Amino acid sequence: MANAIIMPRQGQSVESCIFTDWYKQVGDVIAKGDMLFAYETDKASFEQEAEEDGVLLAVFCEAGDEIPVLQNIGVIGQEGESVDGFNSNSAESTEVEIQVTEVDKQVQEEPVVEIVLKESDSDERVKISPRAKKMAESELVPYASIVGTGPEGRVIVRDIEAYLLSKPKVTPLAKEVMKEEGLTIAEKGSGLAGAVRATDLSANNPVYGNDFEIKRLPNIRKLIAKAMHASLQNSAQLTHHLGADARRLLELRKQVKATEGAPNITINDMVCFALIKALKQFPDANAHFLGDSVKYFSKVHLGLAVDTERGLMVPAIKNADDLSITGLSNQFKEVAESCRQGNVDPELLNSEAASFTVSNLGNYGVEMFTPVINLPQVAILGVNTIVPRPADLGGGVYGFVPYMGLSLTYDHQALDGGMATRFLKQIAIEIENLTIDF
Amino acid sequence: MPKSQFIDPAKVRQSGKIEFKDIPVNQYHKSIEEEKVNFSKEQFKDIYHDMVLIREFETMLNEIKVKGEYQGISYNHPGPAHLSIGQESAAVGMAYHLDEKDFIFGSHRSHGEILAKGMSAIHKMDDATLTAVMQNFFDGTILKIVSENHQGDLKSLARRFLIYGTLAEVFARETGFNKGLGGSMHAFFTPFGVYPNNAIVGGSGDIAVGAALFKKVNQKDGIVVANIGDASMACGPVWEGLSFASMDQFEKLWEGAYKGGLPIIFNIMNNQYGMGGQTCGETMGYDIAARIGAGVNRDSMHAERVDGYNPLAVIDAYSRKMELLKDKKGPVLLDVLTYRYSGHSPSDASSYRSKEEVEAWEDQDCILSYAKELTGAGIASIDELEAIKADITELMKYSMTLAIDDEVSPCMDLVKHPEIIGDMMFSEGSVDKMEDRPVEVNHPMEENPRVKQIAKKERFAFDTNGKSFSKIKQYQLRDGLFEAIVDRFYKDPTLVAYGEENRDWGGAFAVYRGLTEALPYQRLFNSPISEASIIGTAIGYAMCGGRVIPEIMYCDFLGRCGDEVFNQLPKWQAMSGNVIKMPVVIRVSVGSKYGAQHSQDWSSLVAHIPGLKVCFPVTPYDAKGMMNTALQGTDPVIFFESQRIYDIGEQFHEGGVPEEYYEIPFGEPDVKKEGKDITILSIGATMYRALEAAQELEEKYGMSAEVIDARSIVPFNYEPVIESLKKTGRIVLTSDANERGSFLKDMAQRITELAFDELDAPPVVVGSRNWITPAYELEDYFFPTKEWLIDAIHEKIVPLKGHVVTNNFTNAEIIRRSKLGI
Repeated sequence: MANAIIMPRQGQSVESCIFTDWYKQVGDVIAKGDMLFAYETDKASFEQEAEEDGVLLAVFCEAGDEIPVLQNIGVIGQEGESVDGFNSNSAESTEVEIQVTEVDKQVQEEPVVEIVLKESDSDERVKISPRAKKMAESELVPYASIVGTGPEGRVIVRDIEAYLLSKPKVTPLAKEVMKEEGLTIAEKGSGLAGAVRATDLSANNPVYGNDFEIKRLPNIRKLIAKAMHASLQNSAQLTHHLGADARRLLELRKQVKATEGAPNITINDMVCFALIKALKQFPDANAHFLGDSVKYFSKVHLGLAVDTERGLMVPAIKNADDLSITGLSNQFKEVAESCRQGNVDPELLNSEAASFTVSNLGNYGVEMFTPVINLPQVAILGVNTIVPRPADLGGGVYGFVPYMGLSLTYDHQALDGGMATRFLKQIAIEIENLTIDF
Repeated sequence: MPKSQFIDPAKVRQSGKIEFKDIPVNQYHKSIEEEKVNFSKEQFKDIYHDMVLIREFETMLNEIKVKGEYQGISYNHPGPAHLSIGQESAAVGMAYHLDEKDFIFGSHRSHGEILAKGMSAIHKMDDATLTAVMQNFFDGTILKIVSENHQGDLKSLARRFLIYGTLAEVFARETGFNKGLGGSMHAFFTPFGVYPNNAIVGGSGDIAVGAALFKKVNQKDGIVVANIGDASMACGPVWEGLSFASMDQFEKLWEGAYKGGLPIIFNIMNNQYGMGGQTCGETMGYDIAARIGAGVNRDSMHAERVDGYNPLAVIDAYSRKMELLKDKKGPVLLDVLTYRYSGHSPSDASSYRSKEEVEAWEDQDCILSYAKELTGAGIASIDELEAIKADITELMKYSMTLAIDDEVSPCMDLVKHPEIIGDMMFSEGSVDKMEDRPVEVNHPMEENPRVKQIAKKERFAFDTNGKSFSKIKQYQLRDGLFEAIVDRFYKDPTLVAYGEENRDWGGAFAVYRGLTEALPYQRLFNSPISEASIIGTAIGYAMCGGRVIPEIMYCDFLGRCGDEVFNQLPKWQAMSGNVIKMPVVIRVSVGSKYGAQHSQDWSSLVAHIPGLKVCFPVTPYDAKGMMNTALQGTDPVIFFESQRIYDIGEQFHEGGVPEEYYEIPFGEPDVKKEGKDITILSIGATMYRALEAAQELEEKYGMSAEVIDARSIVPFNYEPVIESLKKTGRIVLTSDANERGSFLKDMAQRITELAFDELDAPPVVVGSRNWITPAYELEDYFFPTKEWLIDAIHEKIVPLKGHVVTNNFTNAEIIRRSKLGI
């Protein structure tokens, strides 16, 4: 009777083997113990002997086929015997079906827990995870009164999230105010979709509740804030104060006023004119400090601090050293006006447009101040009011002399004190010996 | 189990008896007159000189330890000093014939061997080589120091170099031979062929065999001498070294130039004591240590006892034994009888021996009796010998003065360079091949049957429809390992691999299947079942400049090579001051199904030891890339594999495992699945159970889990884990290592420290129980499963709605178990 040749089973975990070769052909006479075929698993190669005498009647596989173990791969028997029925398995796909466990792509959301609040007792230790605590503090959640759903009643992030979901949204400004003032969330806000705005906040402290108003900064204020802060952050500023005998200035001003048809040359114009002369002698002060290099200007581009309703502006007068006192005076009036009108060329407002800046607070009676440098310029001159100061008039006579205060702020990164002092003194000398044509 | 060798029952069942060859004992009887044909007057005097050099060096150290001064120079040396006063003739005799290509390995008591071998190498090296050695060593630092005010020839300069370099090392100075990181018990100087001395008794017994293996496999000149003590003959690793060195296959299976025994002499410096234990009469039973040879192989290891009190007797023995080694008849066992007058260490009160005994040996002192012979035979006058001694005393004073001068010989400055030792822990090399010469292989790689078989496999587990291919069609993890390893075998001619069943069997888990066909015996062979020698020899092989993959068949067998893995492999790079590289990749397979002694994941144990890199890849892509990295590097790597997943296909890397070479850097964990609600960090094959847990968390609880595979644990970059935590705020750590003291605990602590504010719950560790591993049928109660992970999350991190636990992760239970130590 014909018998099946099966693919042997090699070890517990082997499901199928790769058939490598038949050593006999259909029709060959086989003796028990003859090498019949070869196959391999993923670990090793094997050879199979014939287990009985007979004739190889049929084969159902060839080299390279993957055959599940214990499946019929051929028939051995006597010449003429039928092989029907032996090959029933081979019709099946030899591919072993393995169900792929695809992870569901539609990710479900973690369910939200219900929030339960309790009376918070100040003596009670609150169990809260570090992450939940951080979140609660930044979102201003009163976590002590939340019943935690974490292990052992610990307040965990999902509790804070649930609390926040149960409350209206809070605008960022309102959040900041709450944090600073220790306020709590209002039940319902007046903003979009009920968002709580700063104005909706109720204070814990009724005395200080409503005595302020918060306004957003206009853009120019933001720019000034940024520039001024940057100046103090990024340079080594200090200020020297020194007085100049103002008798000559006052005399010139008197002459200007007394001269019919003369242009209205102000004290400020004259100080700037004198300053330009000093700057021509001190190129180190007429410069920009660039960190690893210094930019020296051959011309003087003088910046003038102008107070406007919208805030401080510093327009530059290009090539100011080419101008006569009258020309300088006219230019100043023109740019100051256009600043106030708001139609100044924005290019001139750039701090890099000027090589040096003057800020004159003399008109307002300021006696001394420390102007802030307009980076990357290396210095700024503050001009103060004129005050009488006792002075030795010679010959043992003392009297009061009008003196104008000069405050030079300079970047010690670019200038040393000696140089700055000599420069400031030079300005005073120029003021004291000023001559002008008008 | 080579098929070529037929075990014939008729033959092996015949009756008969074993006859041992005679083992000669103290058979040297030549007079000095007879020896005059073998030695010149100068050579006779050099022998005397070298013995006195050692005696004075050791005397100096003894006086420093005992009196705090030598020749009026005071110094306090707090470190060890195991001296060999009395043993000088044994050391000088041993080293006399050896040149710099012969390597010696030693013990904690090896100052004498360093000096003897150093002097012998200096005598034999030509001036140009000697100069180059001194100039190149640590950029000439030592040479510069000893050159100052030196008068005399190059050899005398080299002698200064040797004494100063050794002494500065003993005194832990940065100018010592090993930057002061080796010290007295570990000092060595490879350019003179002085390889590491070892503070673990018998430590050199297997390491030296690896050096001999290196010489043989790479056809290098020279022999190897393992200087070990008489008491170390009781140590398992020494016996394992003997077994490895005497394998029949060297003679019977290795072919061509590789056929024949290893060029090694086990040189027992038999001073008759192991610390205070008397080996003959008390702690051992061999009577005469040379007897051991009879038990090891047919040649009785050509064993012989030699009178180590006569330098000429030892030299004579070496002449004969080195001839044997030249004829590839190794290994050789020499029992060199000697005696130390000095204690085991300066704290030794000699309570274990009588004054009379010490005096009796002193009466026969090796230096005095040799001097008497020299003067008696008219070879040297008493004055000449006195002059030699006086010169040596001056040399010692000079060297000591320099070596204790903090300006000239500072210790490492850890204030200025706080990471200087840290920077030496790993050499961090990237080297294609350790030597540049053709590789020996049996056929081109593309003709290899395994390579051909792999070419037909699917390199990604799934087809374009996402349906997985059958297991046998998939490119498996074992194929990834094979590809990296076979590639390196065809690149690096020094690469060898061995372990239990590595050759014909193809490794117990079929990683090496196909390698037998590709490689000659000397590159892939079966070792004895002897883990200490597998790792010990690998260390010696790498020390000499080779690359090696030793295999530990089951992780549980790591205990069998504890000293080699814990004390030797991780230490020698830094202890050598980075002179030595250690490109050893130990493949360690973690089992399952086979119970308590075949299923343990001990990655935590090796991660605890500084100086080892530890990785555990679990995908074919990672396995190939990390094996490439390990084999490209120059550092010791413990490369973990899991028997659960040798047949796993690549399920993650898009496009499947690349056919070309690529490396995956150690230290970078890999996100195997992205998620946003919880992080699961896994080490090893547990990753697949973590993925199952992730799937269930998603389907049942709407929680999306991110699964991160650590891939390596030393080094390890915590940044990606912290990034994940910033997202999820929760983390579970899991591996198959038992939970107490596991590396997961270390990670949990680090994570808490680094990301405390990100945590919504403490990091939770899910490891195996602190039990024996039970039978396969009970494994689900022992190893972490997806259910354990989900229960732990529910209990300790975030209660899951509707979840019913089956495992107890409560605090009360943790306390109960801890109290019981289970």
